Amino acid sequence: MIRQYLKKMQGTTISPPGVNRTEILCSWIGGFLGIATVGYINEKLCNGTGMIMLIGSFGASAVLLYGAVKSPLAQPRNLMGGHILSALIGVTSYQLFSSHIWFAAAAAVATAIALMHITKTLHPPGGATALIAVIGGDQIHSLVYIYVLVPVGIGAFVMLIIALLVNNIPRSRRYPEFWF
Amino acid sequence: MDKKDFPMNKLSGPKTEPLNITISDEDIYQAMQEISGYLDITPGDFKEIYSHAYKHAVEKIARSITAQHIMNNEVISVRRNTPLLDVARIMAEAGVSGVPVIDTAENLAGVISEKDFLYCIAGRNTQSFLSIILQFIENKPGIVQALEGKKAEDIMTAPAITVAETASVIDVIKTLKKHAINRVPVVDQNGHLRGIITRANLLRVPAGLEAD
Repeated sequence: MIRQYLKKMQGTTISPPGVNRTEILCSWIGGFLGIATVGYINEKLCNGTGMIMLIGSFGASAVLLYGAVKSPLAQPRNLMGGHILSALIGVTSYQLFSSHIWFAAAAAVATAIALMHITKTLHPPGGATALIAVIGGDQIHSLVYIYVLVPVGIGAFVMLIIALLVNNIPRSRRYPEFWF
Repeated sequence: MDKKDFPMNKLSGPKTEPLNITISDEDIYQAMQEISGYLDITPGDFKEIYSHAYKHAVEKIARSITAQHIMNNEVISVRRNTPLLDVARIMAEAGVSGVPVIDTAENLAGVISEKDFLYCIAGRNTQSFLSIILQFIENKPGIVQALEGKKAEDIMTAPAITVAETASVIDVIKTLKKHAINRVPVVDQNGHLRGIITRANLLRVPAGLEAD
């Protein structure tokens, strides 16, 4: 039995092929424009308002949205649903368990994964969005449930718009594969 | 009389795809449900990968089957100097419509088919078998005269179109199609006759491998 267990760790198949240069360039341009737009809004509109637009999990979303365009994880349903649900879970978890940050963090991420699975909105950056709600510091904590809308909801939406605009320019790309 | 006065039978059936991959998004969706755990791929992408993989697999199988596997090993052949009447007799007895011609070193020299006989009897411009029959009726001794005294090498098609023993089934099919021939001799690397492949031999190829 232990042998079978260890055998599973060997892996079973070969790693998939890499992408071509066009794909790499498209990914770079998409990632740059996506983060640039959210970052620009963050700098020009949020400065001094106590609001924030750019959070770490958007970097992860950019990988999927502009680098793995065809992945189900990168589709609009997953992007928007994953971020918004995870933000809700993250804020709630902090509200309930703020005395034990380690527990609040773990509960937020784990519950976010489960809820994303249940709702078919799995989006890995959602885990980061949930975690940031717990460990993001005073500025994030003070937002409470506004966090779900700004930065998370609006930021993800801006990234979606950029993905729709940019990913459909190259002949070799299309986005999305499905909406809901 | 107008053409439409004849009853016309429509003989052409529905057009079939050579590689008919009838796998639907629903089939894949169901299959994905049978695998526990999250799969980072859409049914649409999987279908695309599947159709490519299927094509590669079929090609691989087709390449692994070579001329050697499907050829007839026992070939009825004639020599360069075999008299034409003997050639005709050999072909008639064996019930074949063509035979390879080999030289003294056992190398393939050419091929004789019924067509070569027709050309010999009635000339290159022969339109049909019927025209030869007419010629025959009109000028009885002509047909024998035309064949008499001639040898296989006089009317054979040379050099013959051949395939190597190692040629894949796909290449064999392509050769038959390209030259519009019904049989092709199989030779080894030294040019020795090793076998013959007729269109009927291709029926031994597993279904689905008929390359276009």
